[in-house]
Amino acid sequence: MAKEYAVEIRNLIKEFPSPFRRKKHRAVDQVSLTIEPGEVYGLIGPNGSGKSTTMKALLGLLAPTEGECFIYGRNSLKVDSRQNIGFLPENPYFYKHLSGEETLDFYGKLCGMRGKMLRNRVAELLELVSLTDAKDRQLGGYSKGMLQRIGLAQAMIQHPKLLVLDEPTAGVDPIGSRQIRDLILQLKQQGITVFLCSHLLEQVQDVCDKVGIIFQGKMIRDGRLDELISMKGQKELIMSGVSDELLERIEKMIADDPQAKLLQAGSPRTTLERLFLSEVEKATD
Amino acid sequence: MFTNYFFSSARIGIIAKHTFTQLSRMKVFYFLVAFALLIVGASFFEMPGGRIASDSAEQDLRMVKSTAMGAMSLFSVIFAIAATALLLPKDVEDRTLYTILCKPVPRIDYLLGKLLGVLALIFLSIALMDILLTGILYFRTESIISSELANAAAAGFSSEQVAYYESIIRQQGPTWDLQFGVLAIFLKAAVIASIALLVSSFSTSTLFTIAISVLVYFIGHFTADARDYWLYMMGDDFSMMSKWMSQLAVLIFPDFQLYNIIDHSIEGKNIPANVIGRLSLLTVFYCGIYSILAWFCFRKKEF
Repeated sequence: MAKEYAVEIRNLIKEFPSPFRRKKHRAVDQVSLTIEPGEVYGLIGPNGSGKSTTMKALLGLLAPTEGECFIYGRNSLKVDSRQNIGFLPENPYFYKHLSGEETLDFYGKLCGMRGKMLRNRVAELLELVSLTDAKDRQLGGYSKGMLQRIGLAQAMIQHPKLLVLDEPTAGVDPIGSRQIRDLILQLKQQGITVFLCSHLLEQVQDVCDKVGIIFQGKMIRDGRLDELISMKGQKELIMSGVSDELLERIEKMIADDPQAKLLQAGSPRTTLERLFLSEVEKATD
Repeated sequence: MFTNYFFSSARIGIIAKHTFTQLSRMKVFYFLVAFALLIVGASFFEMPGGRIASDSAEQDLRMVKSTAMGAMSLFSVIFAIAATALLLPKDVEDRTLYTILCKPVPRIDYLLGKLLGVLALIFLSIALMDILLTGILYFRTESIISSELANAAAAGFSSEQVAYYESIIRQQGPTWDLQFGVLAIFLKAAVIASIALLVSSFSTSTLFTIAISVLVYFIGHFTADARDYWLYMMGDDFSMMSKWMSQLAVLIFPDFQLYNIIDHSIEGKNIPANVIGRLSLLTVFYCGIYSILAWFCFRKKEF
């Protein structure tokens, strides 16, 4: 029996007509990828590289010029494949006149949820995205981070097995961004498959199991993150409580080995984001 | 959860309800205040010359009806075109359409939900205006009848003449024929809304949708002439080009002259129930055809 992937994109080509030109513009060129159930996959690439087009083809918002996209074995152009998908677009606006709770209620009803089941799910998701206190406020008064979080909640309303997130932290401050990243990790622990596009490489690195690098419409590299970013032929030791004498001895040992070479020694640095978050955390305590 | 992935009345109802709420928060009901002022103003208007002319009493009532129903027609057509033309591009612009179509929502359900939401709001607005019109017309009719009958009695008319005169005035008051006329206003708006939906399903510009819908609205008033030209013009002086053009016009455009019973109801003429029944069926047919065509254009549309 053939293996069922959460997402399978086979030789996807998408061309758009260019105005006043006979030749069409190829936005995505022979892209193939697979995501196994429960994996977090990050598609990274510069602006205009074909990330969003690939994502839209997967969601059935664009029809492939050639190739096919499958979600849990179902062609993504079929409506029934969408029962398994939750989607958060880049910079979503939603309906400003609805409150957070009404928004989730609306999307839940679209998926056929009703009554107590829907009410419980809405309450559960509001809690998950930390918006219970703001559930009665209209979305017009939500901050960007709150909109992203309510967007994530609407994407999850019908218990989808796959979440597709387009730039989930775009324009969100570091605290909101961290909350979204923590949510993605939480979802990963629950076994939900996540397919995300982002420019923020550090965040992709933090949450993804697999990544694909797309450039000028072509997938130039993809695979497991650990394998892709590990530098072959180099090893790293991070130690604490090391005396100067011990360090000297280690350096000497390396120098004595004809093949080994010490490339860098010093104190590891934190990132500016981690520093910011820890300082804010301290200030709020 | 829904298992029907093609057509679900429950899902259509949810989108329609939401569209209704969305539109009603755009402050369209302010128009009703303007309408109320207009109709109250018209009800105080009296034809020049007092009650000397024999038909001036009916003229006053006709004036109220004409003003009110003109405003209702204007509101319903403008609203049907503008609201329908705005809804789809707004959902695309705000990316809310993506989040809806990425749920298990067939595109036909989305389109019908939007259309029904617009129609529900037009229906409610027209119904509110109708209640106001009927109420004002009732009091105005009773007031005119009491004064006219007093004048007639003073002038020594016979009871048969007085009863006849009263029936003529009442025919201009709040009758079922008036309600049929109001219903025809709604039916006409439903057709023009479904045309705007069809245009917006392939158009990328709101302005284009509005312009084309208005054009179709005007052409629709000449469709009957094109049909007559097609059916009855024969002979050598009838070119093939003219024939094709008239055939095309009849097939593509709705015949809005059929909705002229609105004018009949303003004039106080009798409108048989079977006429309004047939007009309702024709409207369902027009809306159905235009909605199916809209779905054909929209089902493969890329975003």
